Amino acid sequence: MTCKSPIDFETLIAYWLGELPAAVEEPLEEHLFGCQHCTRRLEELAALASGIRAAVRAGAVAAIISAQFLESMKKQGMRIREYAPPRGGRVDCTMKADDDLVVSRLAAPLAGVKRLDAHQTIEIGGQVVADLRLEDVPFDPTAVEVFHAQGGRLRHMPAHTARVRLISVEDAGEREIGHYTFVHTPG
Amino acid sequence: MCNETPGRYTSSRKDRYAPGVPPASSLSSLDDAALARRVAGAGERVDSEAETELYRRLAPRVRLYGLRHLRDRQAAADLVQQVLLMTLERLRAGKLREPEKIASFVLGTCRMTVLEMRRGSWRRETLLETYGDRAEAYETPEPLALDPERLTGCLEGLAERERSVVLLTFFADKPGEEVAKEVGTSAGNVRVIRHRALARLRDCMGAAEGGMR
Repeated sequence: MTCKSPIDFETLIAYWLGELPAAVEEPLEEHLFGCQHCTRRLEELAALASGIRAAVRAGAVAAIISAQFLESMKKQGMRIREYAPPRGGRVDCTMKADDDLVVSRLAAPLAGVKRLDAHQTIEIGGQVVADLRLEDVPFDPTAVEVFHAQGGRLRHMPAHTARVRLISVEDAGEREIGHYTFVHTPG
Repeated sequence: MCNETPGRYTSSRKDRYAPGVPPASSLSSLDDAALARRVAGAGERVDSEAETELYRRLAPRVRLYGLRHLRDRQAAADLVQQVLLMTLERLRAGKLREPEKIASFVLGTCRMTVLEMRRGSWRRETLLETYGDRAEAYETPEPLALDPERLTGCLEGLAERERSVVLLTFFADKPGEEVAKEVGTSAGNVRVIRHRALARLRDCMGAAEGGMR
């Protein structure tokens, strides 16, 4: 099973996502239908896409997401618990057995921010057990919130306090644009 | 590709179709056109072995086309049955004049059937009435499936921005322009991040040696 002119992976991705114009897509499909090799590569891409969807639905992956993504998960029937502490404030939170995900909604003035980092510490019994900085997180500069989704790991965590700081990284240095405290109790 | 090891890709029905494992059929060395000619040559005597091999080989192509254009697993499975049963029937009946153009015929039939499905003029009941038990006679190979735990680990290993772009893209198969609007960047930048993230995922999943590039 070989191919003299295999379709490059970037083009297969663009095809799968419907980004190609018809004039490119039609001959590409002709090739795919006559080529087991390229079909196999497209199958691998489809398997990745399907696996990623399944991981999201299972709440297995933590990530910064968008407002639209949050809405599309809700539309697909996912059970999502949301917490929106005030900027500089705290909130008591949990994750119940039947929750798929917990989403933290972090209100912050994002206009003008070029690069955003998120710094998180987790304390258990007064001891810091994790100190993590997420660099260059995606955000919509026209929005007023950053959305952080968590699933699997949070479900198994004991009571803890998570402190999150949002940091605008600028040429002149760094500037905190919000901090939030989550006091978590197992569900 | 034919003899590569399956790596981290697994199938829940390996007895039927294990990715990377050559099929058991002795016809696997024939190309599509030769198989189509055998099916056509047998006519109503029915060359089951050739038909089964042709179905096994074409089913993934039709299913992927269905998933790409219909974004629905069941609809894609229906498309596979509708298109391939019609194709085999035409071959047997000698109505496909140029069996060497089997791939073009199947693609054309896919396009026509997807249009019917979108218009709502296609019905599963009609498929069952038309082909009856024959609809169950051919096993459709299971799609590739990934080890979910390993994939979760690989996703966690991506940079935050890469992981977000990958999730936003593939949860609903969104093009770069839509994802770009959601994360406040350009479509070109999303495509760059997406490409880099998928390359890392494929490496992490152990698939890079399988020729995904």
